[in-house]
Amino acid sequence: MKRLPVNDEIYIGFQIAPMIDVVFVIMLFFMVMAGAVRVEKELNSQLPGTAETSGSADFVDEQIITISPEGEVSLNDEPFDSAKSRALPQLKATLMRLKQNADAAKTPCTVTIISDETAKYSRTVDVLDALAVAGISSVTFTVNEEE
Amino acid sequence: MAGGGGGGDEPEFQVAPMIDVLLTILIFFMTITSAQVLKTDRTIKLPAAPDAQKKDNMRSEAIVNVRWNPASKKAVFVYDDVEHQHGSDLEPLLKKAREVASRKIAQGQNPNFRVVIRGDQDLPALYISQAMNAAGEAGISDISFSAASKD
Repeated sequence: MKRLPVNDEIYIGFQIAPMIDVVFVIMLFFMVMAGAVRVEKELNSQLPGTAETSGSADFVDEQIITISPEGEVSLNDEPFDSAKSRALPQLKATLMRLKQNADAAKTPCTVTIISDETAKYSRTVDVLDALAVAGISSVTFTVNEEE
Repeated sequence: MAGGGGGGDEPEFQVAPMIDVLLTILIFFMTITSAQVLKTDRTIKLPAAPDAQKKDNMRSEAIVNVRWNPASKKAVFVYDDVEHQHGSDLEPLLKKAREVASRKIAQGQNPNFRVVIRGDQDLPALYISQAMNAAGEAGISDISFSAASKD
């Protein structure tokens, strides 16, 4: 068998097959990563501001959601869902009804969340998420500080 | 292959268009993964809010990270990579940030300037309230809570 000379450079052209292999692997990596990607989202709230005293102010129907230290959520002192429920289905359904009624009556739907100071922040976010589902944007948040 | 549509030559497998398609898909997946990687503090585990709206990155904002140390049961407020022990320490800094932002927008206050609070999911609500108080004292009433799309 004739041996090829070692120093002779033979140009064999651009190899497409290994390139496709590599591109496939990189693509697979990004495809898998795309499924696990966590996107940052936002829940908006407004601090109660100063109202103009010269004009007349309408009294709005304010709903109060309280969060207990154990994570139990109550709407106007009526408990909804269990403290373990993250999805809060009962609260979501009630809030959606409230929003529909407020829209029908053309009145603003304002919600104040009063969390216990030791309650976890994730519970507040669960409630804010339920409010986002119901489409209620006028939300204020406060903490019930122990005296 | 038998039974072609009349043409005599069998079409060869074309590598070039396949590479075009592959690269396009690759770029697509690269952009959706890298562009949306959370630019948050690694020590903060954001609470999940799947129904929240996507974060608007076009607005001028001040970001306050609130870390929680479960071992020492202490919260640390981080603004501009500087740690603060009390929420009230943020007030002059947020005030300054608001003033700088309002100067950038043609004279007058920037109505869109907001504070984004990124709190750890295990954080007691009291510390979030302290960060909100600091924002309120600094004259910013627009507050957004940051959350992740999933756990």
